[in-house]
Amino acid sequence: MENNFIIAGFGGQGVLLAGEVLANAFMLDNINVTWYPSYGAEMRGGTVNCEIVMNDAEDVSSVNKAETDYIVALNQASFDRFLSKVKKGGWMIANSTLVKQLKPRADINYIFAPVTALADKLGNVKMTNILSLGVLAKISRLVSLETLEKALDIVIPPHRKSLLPLNIKALKIGYEYDLSLTNV
Amino acid sequence: MTECLTTTDNKVLTKGNYAIANAAVMAGCECYFGYPITPQSEIGEFMSGKMQELKRAYVSAESELAAINMVIGACSTGAKAMTSSSSCAVALMQEALSYAASDELPVVLISVMRGGPGLGNIYPSQGDYNQATIGGGNGDYKLIVLAPSTVQECVDLTYKAFYLAHKYKNPTIMLADGLLGQMMEPVEFKEYPYPEIDNSSWALTGAKNRPARVIRSYAPSADNQCEFLKKLHAKYKLIEENETDWEEINTEDADIILVSFGSPARNAKSAMKECRKLGIKVGLLRPITLFPFPSKRISELADTAKKFISVEINMGQMIRDIKLAVNGKAPVELLNRPVGNPPSVEEIVARIKKESEVL
Repeated sequence: MENNFIIAGFGGQGVLLAGEVLANAFMLDNINVTWYPSYGAEMRGGTVNCEIVMNDAEDVSSVNKAETDYIVALNQASFDRFLSKVKKGGWMIANSTLVKQLKPRADINYIFAPVTALADKLGNVKMTNILSLGVLAKISRLVSLETLEKALDIVIPPHRKSLLPLNIKALKIGYEYDLSLTNV
Repeated sequence: MTECLTTTDNKVLTKGNYAIANAAVMAGCECYFGYPITPQSEIGEFMSGKMQELKRAYVSAESELAAINMVIGACSTGAKAMTSSSSCAVALMQEALSYAASDELPVVLISVMRGGPGLGNIYPSQGDYNQATIGGGNGDYKLIVLAPSTVQECVDLTYKAFYLAHKYKNPTIMLADGLLGQMMEPVEFKEYPYPEIDNSSWALTGAKNRPARVIRSYAPSADNQCEFLKKLHAKYKLIEENETDWEEINTEDADIILVSFGSPARNAKSAMKECRKLGIKVGLLRPITLFPFPSKRISELADTAKKFISVEINMGQMIRDIKLAVNGKAPVELLNRPVGNPPSVEEIVARIKKESEVL
């Protein structure tokens, strides 16, 4: 079985890091995984995204996918850009703090969760990316909260370890967010 | 990320560039000389910390010309030395590569391709297939060229690059691309699997208690140069016989054979498998060594295959070597993207379907 994910947002929102945490989690579950960034002359405030392909059957995954199973859009530009890329029956998980709650396509699933507002409430708006991973874990059921916590421990460097508990809290808030509020 | 590397028992998720750098350290690289250029700058970044930590040599050179000539200097002492660079900067190293080939020095160059010609851009590309396999230096020389397709292979072929360079005293390029350099995958860093090569018979180590040695490419007599070139090319023939490497899947009964190296080979592989499910007889041949190129095997397959498709991220460079190997026995088509990410699986599948209708 193969699934792919795109995490997209403003440069500075931590989309590459969130993707790295997710990819590490799949590795810990012994699933083949490939992570690659949109790569060009990127800058802070511009748009950035990364794609993660997980595969438990093939040794090598293909890249540059035409369609995506799960898209996490942390800003409006990413929602607009990647909406057409969601696979039929796939999921668009949008940050409703910054994305309008519109559903232009009828053949995909939508989650609108105010992850930036929730991160702000937690006390650090930088937790937006990890909060959205919690939502993604809940929706996809492809990775457990425990594995994501272990992956966070791998990715967060030693000199930032003091932020691990806050990240784990953010992950849980995302995971436990009441999806009935998201107007699915 | 970088502090967890060098030796690991478990798999680690790491970028192609860091994987290459760490593998070079594990292979026993004693000297790194480099000048930064996107999309391979992480190699130099990693080496700048790790080599000093291990008390090995790291020099941030003043230019690419300086870097490759420093590698020549270090290699003339028998040391394991390397540089890394990308397209327009590898162009600057061509003269030195010709000298290193002539001097028979074990130079290792990691070339992480980006868009060209000229300054081009920093997107992935395979536009330097010709630069690596044919070369831009003067004279009749060949470089060993290895082409990874996954991050794990970036590790394995970095090991192999050091081994082959020293085994054959020949400059060796590992030819990756910007996508592989920036891609993260779980990798294992096993012990360097090759025997150490004894360089003591030729290395410049100081002439105390033995006659002085000279390493040079200058050959004033025509006769000598004829002999030298024959000897050099006998070595290239030996490399062809011993070291040609490729991956081959579902080729035995294939009507259509995809030939692809590096990152687009991943998509070619998936496309081949999808077409097999549809009952189309497609196979894949992925060259792992670009010199020596698996010409002999492609020629054999051309006896039964009805068509070849070369899948590349350039305007069609490897296709020339495929055509030479096929030698008119079957048509050879091109499916390319000029620069950027590889053609998608869907695009390759569509092309295979179209080509299979007119066999």
